[in-house]
Amino acid sequence: MSKLLMGVAAAALLTLLPQVATADDGMATPGKDVSMVLLPKFLGILPFDQAHKGAEEAAQELKNPAKLQFLGPTPQNSVAGQIEIVTNATTQGVKAILLSNNSGDQIVPAAKAAQAKGIKVVTWDSPIPSSEGEDVFVAQVDFGDIGKVMADMTLNLTGPEGGEFAILSASPDAANQNAWIAAMKVALKDAKYAKLKLDDIVYGNDESEKSYTQAQALLDKYPKIKVIMAPTSVGIVAAAKALQDEKLCDKVKISGLGLPSEMLAYTKNGCAPEFALWSFVDLGYLAYTTAYQLATGTLEAKEGAKFKAGRMGEFTITKDPTRAKGLRVLMGPFTIYNKDNVEAAAK
Amino acid sequence: MNSLRRWETLLFVLLLAVVSLNATESRYYLGVGNFINLFQLSIEKSIVALMMAFVIIGAEIDLSVASVMGLAACVMAYTFQQGAPLPLAILLALAAGVLAGLNNAFWIAYVGLPSLAVTLAGLIGYRGLARILVEDRAIGGFPLWFNALGQQGLIGPLTLSIMIFVILFVFFAVLLHASAFGRLVYVVGSNVEAARYSGVRVARVKTALFAGSACVSALAGVLYAARLGSVRGDMAEGFELDVITTVLLGGVSIFGGKGNMVGVGLSLLLILNLRNGMGLADITGNTQNYVIGGLLILSVLVPNIYQDIQNKWKGRER
Repeated sequence: MSKLLMGVAAAALLTLLPQVATADDGMATPGKDVSMVLLPKFLGILPFDQAHKGAEEAAQELKNPAKLQFLGPTPQNSVAGQIEIVTNATTQGVKAILLSNNSGDQIVPAAKAAQAKGIKVVTWDSPIPSSEGEDVFVAQVDFGDIGKVMADMTLNLTGPEGGEFAILSASPDAANQNAWIAAMKVALKDAKYAKLKLDDIVYGNDESEKSYTQAQALLDKYPKIKVIMAPTSVGIVAAAKALQDEKLCDKVKISGLGLPSEMLAYTKNGCAPEFALWSFVDLGYLAYTTAYQLATGTLEAKEGAKFKAGRMGEFTITKDPTRAKGLRVLMGPFTIYNKDNVEAAAK
Repeated sequence: MNSLRRWETLLFVLLLAVVSLNATESRYYLGVGNFINLFQLSIEKSIVALMMAFVIIGAEIDLSVASVMGLAACVMAYTFQQGAPLPLAILLALAAGVLAGLNNAFWIAYVGLPSLAVTLAGLIGYRGLARILVEDRAIGGFPLWFNALGQQGLIGPLTLSIMIFVILFVFFAVLLHASAFGRLVYVVGSNVEAARYSGVRVARVKTALFAGSACVSALAGVLYAARLGSVRGDMAEGFELDVITTVLLGGVSIFGGKGNMVGVGLSLLLILNLRNGMGLADITGNTQNYVIGGLLILSVLVPNIYQDIQNKWKGRER
């Protein structure tokens, strides 16, 4: 049956029929009033705006009359700000909080208080490390895969003879980046990558200026470095700029996770020939749909629960293999960008 | 004194305006739970602000308070992780705070360096120390009683932190306005040379100010750790500016010698209610900072403009 037809039918029947949808059937019931807060790590960078766009798209499709609140702290006040927003959302009695966690486990008391009031806490992009206070984590791609892709891109850029490289990450307690770096370290144990040597891991806190100076420091400290791997959209741009300003792009390359529109110039001039990412629009869409279904009772946060997420198809909640505890919905897949496809994606 | 009383009246009127606006704009505002949250979310800063008022009235500044909070929390977490029982770890954290304060005091009171420079060095140095201790980790897993102290009501809905704040507020108000030490702080803050010539042991007063400031900050750092349930090296980073903002808005003169606890208390209530109201109205991040920054500029401008007008008026009469 076509999705369109189903949507129309459901919308039309909603006002005429008594509630027929039963719990756990994995189909969303459109038109329910579900107030939600979309809470990124902080405001003002493109990936989170894209996620917001995707969430709004899902909100329209689900005909949710409650406006989605897109609230975030400033980068300098991320931890205290996230806690404050979760606490205020709890006071307001919203139905769901969509959190890209930047506060490590420090968010746990606030998230638990939200859950105690019946609020669904869905993390996306970056989970709560202990998974306490969290219903489910909507993961962009498998964290193990990210590690392998990062190792592959590094080897591509050094060539088969290998060489030294370093990692420029976001904040030291960003659960997602830390998990990817850990996954990369595991991947590096494979004999295939034996000639790669990881010199250092530094943190730019997802601030452009700090990332820029950290990249410069790496270039000074390790003269034989061949690749800087930055698994953060802020860090990768800052590092590429540092490299370009130092006129080192023929000797050192940047790679990692970045947005095509921000990386276009650096991919074309050879500073960052190859990088990867997933769609943040889709991630926002999926996170919203998951939270909506959890809050309206058509989905339960338990292992094995299946649900339909609009245009993105069917998903299953599983155990999260990257954390000791916790549940996960896995989105995927990856796109690798290079000079052949970056221009089209940047539009 | 007259103009001071006017300032507190103005703060009180502003507070009433904010409270009534919040009450009409948000149906979630009036409620025990929300008022507890309103205090809890910034309780550590509020505690530190009380002691900061003393420091600024004494014509000094302590920029290292937030780093001392971070250092104390990290000392506690680190020693706990190394196997120390938590009560001992807390004592060590407070001791680290006192040491940091004595270090500040030595350079300021006995060597005679400006507190702006010394405590700026402290801001950087103590933070560095905190980061060295916990590196890039988050340390958690404290005993349940510790987290409960930070997160749950102890007497009814009142948390330990809120009670400590109230007790300290009363204690500091008495100390500042009804004790010999309080008078010394005003004297040193108004005119340090005059104080010296009339036999005040200025260095001792300053030592007390900076040791007290760091000790209170260390306590606030431990309370912050209990509220969040885990500790990182960047804890409380940037809090010093919020603390100083509150004190200045409370009518304490940045040049020393002027200000009182009632003003600081009103300023705290004003900022907390304003932040809470904006939060409940879904106004966050930069907009909040913008409004509070504007308020601070007003707090400096209004008394000056008032003075100007008064002077011009007098000139015309003559």
